[in-house]
Amino acid sequence: MPMSSVIWYLYEFARKSWAESFAIAKTNAEIVETPERFRDFPQVFPEYCIACGACIAACPAPHAIKLIRSEDNTEEEGRTYPVINNRGCIRCGFCAEVCPTDPKTLTCGENHLIREDFTILPTEKMFVIDDYLCIRCKKCVKACQVEGAIVEEDNKIVIDQSKCIACGDCLDSCPVKGAIKGIYIDHVQEQKDIIKIIVNSLEESIEAKRDDISHLLDDEVYRFDFDIGDLVDRARSILSDDDIILDIFQKITDRLKLRIVTWDDEKCNRCQLCVNECPSGAITYNEEEDVVIRDAEKCLRCSICYQTCPFGVAGYYVARFLLDPLSLDTGVIHVTVKPSQLPIGAD
Amino acid sequence: MLDALKDVVRKSSIHVCLINTGGCNGCDIEVVALLSPRYDLEQYGIYVHNNPREADVLLITGAVCEQWKENLQRIYSKAPEPKVVVAIGNCPLTGDVFNQEGSSVYAPVSDFIPVDAEIPGCPPRPAEILAAILAVGPDAIAAKGREKP
Amino acid sequence: MILPIGPIHPGLKEPVRLKLKTQGEKVINAEIDFGYVHRGIERVIEGKTWQKGIYLSERVCGICSYIHTQTFAETFEKIAGERVPLRAQYLRSLTNELDRIQSHFIANSTYFKAIEHETLFMYMLHLREPIMDAIELLTGNRVNMGWNVVGGVRMDAEEKHLNSIYQIITNLEKEYDKYVEMFEEGPLLALRSKDVGKMSKKDAIKGRAVGPIGRGSGLKHDVREEHHTYKDEFDWKVIWRKEGDNFARTMNRFDEITESIKIIKQIIENIPSGDVRKKITIPAGYADWRNEAPRGELAYMAETNGNLIQNISIRTPSIMNIDVCGKYMLQDVATVADAVATYASVDPCVACAERVIILNEKGEKTEFDGLHKVKYLQ
Repeated sequence: MPMSSVIWYLYEFARKSWAESFAIAKTNAEIVETPERFRDFPQVFPEYCIACGACIAACPAPHAIKLIRSEDNTEEEGRTYPVINNRGCIRCGFCAEVCPTDPKTLTCGENHLIREDFTILPTEKMFVIDDYLCIRCKKCVKACQVEGAIVEEDNKIVIDQSKCIACGDCLDSCPVKGAIKGIYIDHVQEQKDIIKIIVNSLEESIEAKRDDISHLLDDEVYRFDFDIGDLVDRARSILSDDDIILDIFQKITDRLKLRIVTWDDEKCNRCQLCVNECPSGAITYNEEEDVVIRDAEKCLRCSICYQTCPFGVAGYYVARFLLDPLSLDTGVIHVTVKPSQLPIGAD
Repeated sequence: MLDALKDVVRKSSIHVCLINTGGCNGCDIEVVALLSPRYDLEQYGIYVHNNPREADVLLITGAVCEQWKENLQRIYSKAPEPKVVVAIGNCPLTGDVFNQEGSSVYAPVSDFIPVDAEIPGCPPRPAEILAAILAVGPDAIAAKGREKP
Repeated sequence: MILPIGPIHPGLKEPVRLKLKTQGEKVINAEIDFGYVHRGIERVIEGKTWQKGIYLSERVCGICSYIHTQTFAETFEKIAGERVPLRAQYLRSLTNELDRIQSHFIANSTYFKAIEHETLFMYMLHLREPIMDAIELLTGNRVNMGWNVVGGVRMDAEEKHLNSIYQIITNLEKEYDKYVEMFEEGPLLALRSKDVGKMSKKDAIKGRAVGPIGRGSGLKHDVREEHHTYKDEFDWKVIWRKEGDNFARTMNRFDEITESIKIIKQIIENIPSGDVRKKITIPAGYADWRNEAPRGELAYMAETNGNLIQNISIRTPSIMNIDVCGKYMLQDVATVADAVATYASVDPCVACAERVIILNEKGEKTEFDGLHKVKYLQ
């Protein structure tokens, strides 16, 4: 009986499959290999970052992403870019999905459907408080639904972007027009282009009316209306979203104060006082032809030449704008130009 | 001589206790997956016993809930010296997604007990856990054993 | 005498405390204490945007994390009144069934560990690993997959992925019967499992048992029957048994794996082409949705203002299943070892269950004090 069981055991272990698998037994390669679709911690390419904060707004984990800014050096300004904290990251890849730059600043595994029409930003806007206009009434702090999203720091009211959920309640509660702003955080470059177009064409339109405004007395104002139809068409060709365009128009007309410098060569006596005062080197004296030349491209509109010139060559005017009614189709920008109240004279 | 022998023995038989201090369970099943024949934790001389009194390594998962604030320290004191604490996953490190307004977690674990090694991920893959335990466990156990009390 | 087991105990995978009232070796009744993994996840989700919420809902539970995201997504699709493209529905069902298979494998392996059958425990984990590979191949992660979004799924499955999943499933099917037979016909296993931890159909209805636990007691109830994809697209049947003991519950899970394999094969053979994601805008509103998680019926109730989640309430199956375990199964169990095995056989997922709202005697919502208990002592 014992003999038979020993034989049975030997027979059982001597089977070919047993011997074969014993001979080739080794650690599987699968243990260390990851499949091609494996979503690891996100990779960051700082050079593409536009510091929009979309990844932070999107990230479900509170400690995973921080936007940091490297120090300025002599050659270039510090660069802002996201940093992934592996100890907080949950590897969901949502930051890579919402990242608006092309190519992506953040990549995470293989996300096939990173397509423009699916890039759902969890928030369209980012809210910031303009400290210049803020009257510290703290109505927004009371209106805010999120504990600690709007806080007082160093006597300033600031929005903590890591906590803000961009609901817009603070905007409704604010009594000062323009003190809280909702900034659209996608299409940043397009927004910049539209702002440039609007400001440039407004300035050109005022420059064209130089003859009218140069005769203004100190307490007189000059008003004219500017039709935005042409601007809207150009803006729409850049960006198709009317909401964002209207938002830009409104912000510019609320906040923009254009300073206009006019230059009357006939009054100039070549005293060259302004040449040395100009901080940007926009005014130069040409000895051969005996003329003082102002380069409008370089001009900073700082008004120093206006305050320096004894003969009134430089004129200095301030223009304010108002969009009324608030719509892209029927809206007209009302422009008001008035002479500056700054003191004149070299001393 | 005796120390060297102790080192060898300690390195080759490590008993592990898994403590879930309040997570989503994901890291725990990844540790269970380590027991599977594919990863086979026991071939490295590591045994999961879930008994703190005979543990050399405490694997902590989870973000420290209300009830664990004191119990975690009690369990830590129950484990015999030398002992190593390995935190698995993001919960014991930062509290992961739970460490937000409204939740009742008290992460990180290092506020309560000393942590020797960290494995980030939510959850980490079994291969990552295995690599981290093998990189830290045996040597740390042996080194801690050599310390004079 | 009261015999406390847990929260950290060799027999338990998750922190929970069983207080067994014993008379000698016999267990008369039991009390189950919760509160060891309460994180307040519903409160964390509230006030976040719904795009974020789906990744947070995944962290309710690590084992059945997939079905939480699907239910979350379908709740919000119901608010929007839309359905995702058909290919996305197929891919969701595919992942759901893969997730169900791996969850049942780990549940059964825990049971076999509890009855000290190490061999089958290892076999179950061995069978589970290829399924985890399939999930990782498809979604990019093993446990918290991040695969669903409101409006569809995040990645398309390519031909090669579907082919290798089909291969994995066929391989599993080939050797699967052998392991089921080991359990079904093993005499020692039957001694530990049959007629242990019995729950009658009446008790199951009274205690609102769901999933394989309810179906093991004769409750023919599977929410997949009401789900539009499963109802219209696939040919399958509800698995249920009458015995109501540990054996029935474990066998029920085994049979459900067979059924899931059948569904996966249908999915891969018939999957339509098309888009897998569409853009959905969510209006303000409220909706509820139910889905069949591996452990039973999972319900989500959510209210949104179109951007933020204002209110969310999750009901997971484990809370009812652990409840019936304490109330009906752990009464007059022959030995303490059987009591632990019975507890393991209901596939308790404590991480799921720990989202209880605490009411005081007047029925008002009170603060969580960290020590709440669900008592079953009579």
